[in-house]
Amino acid sequence: MTREEIIAEINSIFVEQFELDPAELTAEKKIFDDLGLDSLDIVDLMIGLQRKFGIPLRQNEEIRKIVTLGDVYEFFVKLAKERPEFAANLKK
Amino acid sequence: MTMAQWRPTPLIYTSMLLWTVGYCAVMLLPFCVASLLPEEARGRFSRWVILQYGRVMVYRAVWPFVRVKFEDGAAGETRPGIYVFNHRSASDPFLVATLNIPVIQAVNGWPMRLPFFGFFARRGGYIDTTKLSYEEARDRMGRMLERGVSVAAFPEGTRSGSRRMNQFRSGVFKAARELGAVIYPCCIVGNEELPDRRFRFRCGRIRVRLLPPLAPEEVRSFGNAFLLKNHIRSRIQREIERMEGIASDE
Repeated sequence: MTREEIIAEINSIFVEQFELDPAELTAEKKIFDDLGLDSLDIVDLMIGLQRKFGIPLRQNEEIRKIVTLGDVYEFFVKLAKERPEFAANLKK
Repeated sequence: MTMAQWRPTPLIYTSMLLWTVGYCAVMLLPFCVASLLPEEARGRFSRWVILQYGRVMVYRAVWPFVRVKFEDGAAGETRPGIYVFNHRSASDPFLVATLNIPVIQAVNGWPMRLPFFGFFARRGGYIDTTKLSYEEARDRMGRMLERGVSVAAFPEGTRSGSRRMNQFRSGVFKAARELGAVIYPCCIVGNEELPDRRFRFRCGRIRVRLLPPLAPEEVRSFGNAFLLKNHIRSRIQREIERMEGIASDE
């Protein structure tokens, strides 16, 4: 799965879960200041993804470092490299 | 110099100080007696003392320089719930007293550390969201709601100091969904400079408007806390614009 495909999948999850405008979803957008998502929203997102993909995400320390949407993309790109089953599930 | 430009800051602080001293003198004995009561009764009494002090400050100490008007649009709903306010100024926590109901506030740390106010806030069972996990804060809110005590929150977290409204944090909305609580959106307008960021006052009018609440079923109908908080934020924003004459009445 390419980086672009992962980003597209992540964006679709954001649109579905938070009803955000797809045009708003660019890497430089700050999660809280620009999109209004705080750590609890991210935890909700992670719990949803965890249920969906069966991969433990909530305890991942990297989540705490997320500031921009670009950080979210990087998090999942890295996860897809480390856990091939995640990338496979993301495609479904 | 016009009335709008005049800064009665020393007069207001002198008045607040005198009213505070007078209020403390009146309440000293009852407060000492109440200290002997069991914890729950002590907390209830402390909340009443805080509420009455807030009302003295809002309706007496700053009058006639600052006039405060409360507008009840809750459509007869009286259940304890979570009151969500916009947050422009340091006067906002005092303005919660206009609700005139048993209430605690969920605060972000510093009010609990204030020498005088912090003591009463701790006694009254105020919730310091910076010291508790989300689950602990939610459970405390739940216990207060069960006792008939509402929770006031400023989900912007920090005061905007202007007419701009900051993004909302999700904590109280997530808690409201999980607790099945009523949410009362509330608007405060006119106090962005009462006081300003340097704690100076002008003369002015403040309006606090309680909007029709969201019943627990409606609160739970939102897919997650993010969608709920954005809905409430939009409602407050629209009403503020209406109150300030930015948007025309629908």
